[in-house]
Amino acid sequence: MTGISIDHMISLAAFIAVLMVSMSAFAQVMSVAVIYQRNHQVSMKAAELANTLLLSPGNPIDWAHSNSTLLAFGLQDMETRGYSLDALSLSRLTSTQPLVYFPKTGLWYSNNSLGGGGTLLVPLTSALNYTTAAKLLGVEESYAFRLAVTPTLSVSLSELDLNPLTIKAEVRGLNGAVGNATLNYLLCVAAPGIDEYPSLQTLSGTSQTDPTGIATLEFSSVDCSAFAYSVIIYARISGLAGVGYRCRDSIVNNRIIPFVEDFNDRTVLLAHSWDVHNFPPPVTALYFNATFLSLSHDFQLNEVQLVNSSEFARSGLVNYGTNYTQIRAQIPTQSAGILLVAYRSGSGYGIAAMPWGIGVLGFPVAYGGDPSSSDWVAVELRQVAINRVSYQATVAVWRTSGYNLRRV
Amino acid sequence: MMRSVEIFMVALILFSAFAITSYFAVLPSPRDISGLNLRELALSTMETLNMNDDLAKTVFSSTSDPSWGTLQSALSASLPANVVYNLTVYDIVTSADGVVTYSAVKSVSNCEGDLGVDSDASSHVVESSDVTFTATSQKIGEASGRNITLYILNCNDANGWWITGYTAQSLASDLRNLLSPYFRTTILVNSTSQLGLLLDGTALGAERLQDAVVINTFGEAVPIPAGYYATQGYDSGSRSYARYTYILGQRVNTYNWTWVSIVGYPLYYVTNTAVFASTQNSWGIYGMRMTGRDGGEGPAGLNAFLRGLDGQSYSYSSSGITGDIGLVQFTWNASYYSNYYGVYPSPYQTATRALPTSILNTYHLRVLPNSYIFQVKSNYIAGATYNHRDSGITHGSLTAIGLTRTPDIRVTALGLLQYFHPTIYKSELGASGTSRLVVLQLAVQGGA
Repeated sequence: MTGISIDHMISLAAFIAVLMVSMSAFAQVMSVAVIYQRNHQVSMKAAELANTLLLSPGNPIDWAHSNSTLLAFGLQDMETRGYSLDALSLSRLTSTQPLVYFPKTGLWYSNNSLGGGGTLLVPLTSALNYTTAAKLLGVEESYAFRLAVTPTLSVSLSELDLNPLTIKAEVRGLNGAVGNATLNYLLCVAAPGIDEYPSLQTLSGTSQTDPTGIATLEFSSVDCSAFAYSVIIYARISGLAGVGYRCRDSIVNNRIIPFVEDFNDRTVLLAHSWDVHNFPPPVTALYFNATFLSLSHDFQLNEVQLVNSSEFARSGLVNYGTNYTQIRAQIPTQSAGILLVAYRSGSGYGIAAMPWGIGVLGFPVAYGGDPSSSDWVAVELRQVAINRVSYQATVAVWRTSGYNLRRV
Repeated sequence: MMRSVEIFMVALILFSAFAITSYFAVLPSPRDISGLNLRELALSTMETLNMNDDLAKTVFSSTSDPSWGTLQSALSASLPANVVYNLTVYDIVTSADGVVTYSAVKSVSNCEGDLGVDSDASSHVVESSDVTFTATSQKIGEASGRNITLYILNCNDANGWWITGYTAQSLASDLRNLLSPYFRTTILVNSTSQLGLLLDGTALGAERLQDAVVINTFGEAVPIPAGYYATQGYDSGSRSYARYTYILGQRVNTYNWTWVSIVGYPLYYVTNTAVFASTQNSWGIYGMRMTGRDGGEGPAGLNAFLRGLDGQSYSYSSSGITGDIGLVQFTWNASYYSNYYGVYPSPYQTATRALPTSILNTYHLRVLPNSYIFQVKSNYIAGATYNHRDSGITHGSLTAIGLTRTPDIRVTALGLLQYFHPTIYKSELGASGTSRLVVLQLAVQGGA
């Protein structure tokens, strides 16, 4: 009788142990399957969002060029279609960079100046913030995303000599140096002009990189030891295009900073740096001379004169402090290009550049949430063109709500 | 002891089940869950490389051209380091009997051998920059030796009804843009007096009046010229303008016109801002009145028109004949021609003024199978072109789109195009020597 009871007890204990072990093992298999399914959903959502962002222009289709209310979010360039993004749409995305406050307008500006040169400051009132974009895409409570758009070709410029000005250009792709790339360059020099206003002298030409992806450009007639210059180089190889920009100022503590005022009217405010950053005195007023370089389909920059009227200036004096009114310039054309402002104070010169369309100066874009704390991130990679400059667009998507299983 | 043996057996069964389940429930690798979307990456790579036609230039160059080398450099520069590629160009060859074959021209790759089963590919057809592709339309009537004129009513002294949100003039402009490529001559009829001239049989220029197509852009209203047609068109017995629409039907018969009503109940109102300056259509729109008795009984207009078209004697009838049949759907022909001509209205529409099939017998009308725009529903036709047949010959036609407001003139355009079905002559995309197929195959190297 005792033996039977012991047999029952041992068998019951063994049965419970076996049952628990097997349940735990099966649960593990099931949880892996559930995680797989959920991650697959995230991956599908990433593909869907990439298609929406990159292959639809949004509604209205010209939302970035006007002040109309955005009803559907998309970044495609309606004129070129395909994997081509609208440069102004990208310019209007709120940057992840710290905001800039401009006391004279009382507005905060999104600092979209992620590139190596030039500035792009967009008023927050005209920029599209991430929360709104997520709402328009219908993912605000379930998924988060991050869009990163980076140039495919990196064109880095360094200064070898100032007299004569000698620039070294190095073109690199994702897998190293790019040899035999065609270079279209434009050099702008801010030098003394008639009276106090600086003149903008331009010099353009073509060159080619050697097998190591390097080209040396010597401007034998240009001495920049006392003046400011900026050089823009477009590199092309078999359909791929990249851009490099370098600028050198001979003035310290005084700058002109362009701020986008209105995308619809294409107006830009030219601000004195003292008004923005409150540098300590002494500072001086700056005489300026501005122009617009329009980017053609064959990557040539053509000068288009700015409007000169009682409302808009193409040359003048930018002063600081509350007693002086804002100086405005108007982009003279609908096409993409660069606003170049040469300025002078005494014997010091400087050049400010602002791209009208991020592709013309090869600015990258980073927009959206931060995926670093997420357990699983799905990524879509596509090649795109912005102002015919080659970029890579990465759309990262992760889940923000719902039942989250930990990976095992 | 027996119980312990039984438990041992249970454990054995459970663990066996787990082992078998684990064996079969093999989950795909993480790369399969969210790997690189190689197909889209390949497509977007080819599209961006061809953004300035550089890919097309290389693809059509000699196989020994240095541009193939720069294409390879561009591919290496634009693809991630762990992605290998194989780009193959095929020539598209069409034989005399129409068989299309693809012959490989050249292949560039950064990988020796096959890219493996995990690779993915996209294809892209590039056209030679030396070739221009065109699409030219045959002019309607050209095949039968008749130059058919398109008249679009654009009268500045008339008002529209049931064209809410549009004006007759804006619709006329849109219709001209849509349809003028298919007609030898397109004329906007800018006033009711010009319409009067046409009804008198006088062309406005050198165009051919006979066999013309007349589109009434005024919706349910029809412009009426002052003078003869406003006086002779008035039926003093019924105190209506049904006699005008009767004359209109006669003229359509005489000149073998195709009269087109773009929306709603045809000829429900008559409109002329001078003749009816102080009359309104009971909805506050001045310059028009219902066609029937004492400015009411709108259906009288269509009844009289059909009698005139059929050559019957005039009599006044205000009986409504249309039906509200709700949702209607494109016929197969409409879908086909929608694609053929690139005109894409919604294939589902709401018909509240569809004409009954009974009018086919009553007024000796015929609808050709290819001219039904919508499927016949409950013996009502929501949109079609009705030919009046007399001794086996067509004498006048009516295209009636019995949809509810507001009008989608693309339906009208489609209805006319599928009725006349002019041929589109297209340069053949993909013909020998003009296009090449580029296939970019990508694969990821290394583990997940």
